[in-house]
Amino acid sequence: MRADLDFMVEREDFKLRCVASYGEGVHLVSGVIGSGKSTMALVMASLLQCQGRYLTKGVQRTILSMQFPEYHITSSSVDDEVRSWGLDPRDVLPRAGMEDRGAIDPFKLSRGQLKRLNLACVFALDPDILLLDEPFSSLDCMVKSRVCKAIESRKDKITMVFSHERSVLPRVESISHIADGKLIHHGSTPEAVSQWASPPPYLRQALQRGARPQNITLQDSMEALCATRD
Amino acid sequence: MISVRGMRHHLIDIERLDAEGKRVALIGPNGAGKTTLLEVLAGMDKLREGSVKVLGKSPSQVKVGWVGEFPDRTMLFSRVCDEVASSLRFTKVDQEDADLIVMESMAMLKRPDLLKRYTRSLSGGEKALVAFAAAIVNSPDILILDEVDSHLDEATAGIITDAVQLSGIPTLFCTQDMDRASTADHVIFLRDGRVQFSGSPAEVFGQLEDSCFYPSLWRLSQ
Repeated sequence: MRADLDFMVEREDFKLRCVASYGEGVHLVSGVIGSGKSTMALVMASLLQCQGRYLTKGVQRTILSMQFPEYHITSSSVDDEVRSWGLDPRDVLPRAGMEDRGAIDPFKLSRGQLKRLNLACVFALDPDILLLDEPFSSLDCMVKSRVCKAIESRKDKITMVFSHERSVLPRVESISHIADGKLIHHGSTPEAVSQWASPPPYLRQALQRGARPQNITLQDSMEALCATRD
Repeated sequence: MISVRGMRHHLIDIERLDAEGKRVALIGPNGAGKTTLLEVLAGMDKLREGSVKVLGKSPSQVKVGWVGEFPDRTMLFSRVCDEVASSLRFTKVDQEDADLIVMESMAMLKRPDLLKRYTRSLSGGEKALVAFAAAIVNSPDILILDEVDSHLDEATAGIITDAVQLSGIPTLFCTQDMDRASTADHVIFLRDGRVQFSGSPAEVFGQLEDSCFYPSLWRLSQ
């Protein structure tokens, strides 16, 4: 399975140039607000036209989970919302920790709960390419850890994580960063870890203290720091 | 900064809570009641039972700068410059003065370029930044921010923290970033509508050492 990107998107005051190739595994894309993370996700979801090409190999189904989970809502109850994805609420709601919420209006949920509901649906569908636009925003650290496990378990599929999360991150196969209208592909981990233009605070500190983390999770940074003490 | 007595409101049940300091952080799991509590303190929801004080006054007597968790649901205007200026226009501040304050605010947030844009063209994080600018232009007595940093990259969240510090406006903020919460003067940990811990960052996070709520930078320096 593969996704090959060689495209450009241009709007007023905005430019994004992406050249990269992603295979099976988890790929992180970082960048400051407005840099083009969501734009890149939209192109990969075939929801936005670009100049150039976006080609996939061996991919049947792509799903985008949008940054604002309320954009996904099409139904007036949580049960119907799950059914609108072609899923059975009895399977999905327990996974979102929302067994007792089936009858209520999705707009009555908090943003964190809406995000959990949306992520439970997209993971249940297990698409070949899963595009997660800010999957961790508004989730607490316990839910973030569960989402990381779900992301890491998709080993033979392509998972793109567009995020500026600073504390709970999944282990990833590659790291890319968008800056000044251009996607910079830092390559595969572990080599890419020290190349990364915007590491979270704990990783930056670990690197400054001479550690060489194998991946980008807090656990990796702690283990690498322990190794420097030996 | 805030005091709560005998509050029973939806899922919230707080007998007594006092928090002092320039920056107070409210943390806790999803669904703990953080937004519900912030909305009462911001005077946006009427308290069902009990009493709350913000800066020693009733919430309705305090000028609150509010940024909610859905920044793009609260956008009223199509141009960013009008959105940021809205609270000044509503209080009939002179047009030229208003324009100057708006420009200075966006310059302080290091994104004067956004003033030329339309709100619908903004990215999610840019909407959060514009909502913050709109909250700060009218010199509020207090800023109440509901997980604004969850929409922002680290650099932009840092710019907001600096702007708050520079303005000297007391700030009550809710966050899922424990490294940020650990820099507050006072931390409140809410769970299932109740205050589980309240005190200095060292006091509160000392109780949370075995959980994922412990700040990652503290964990790293252990």
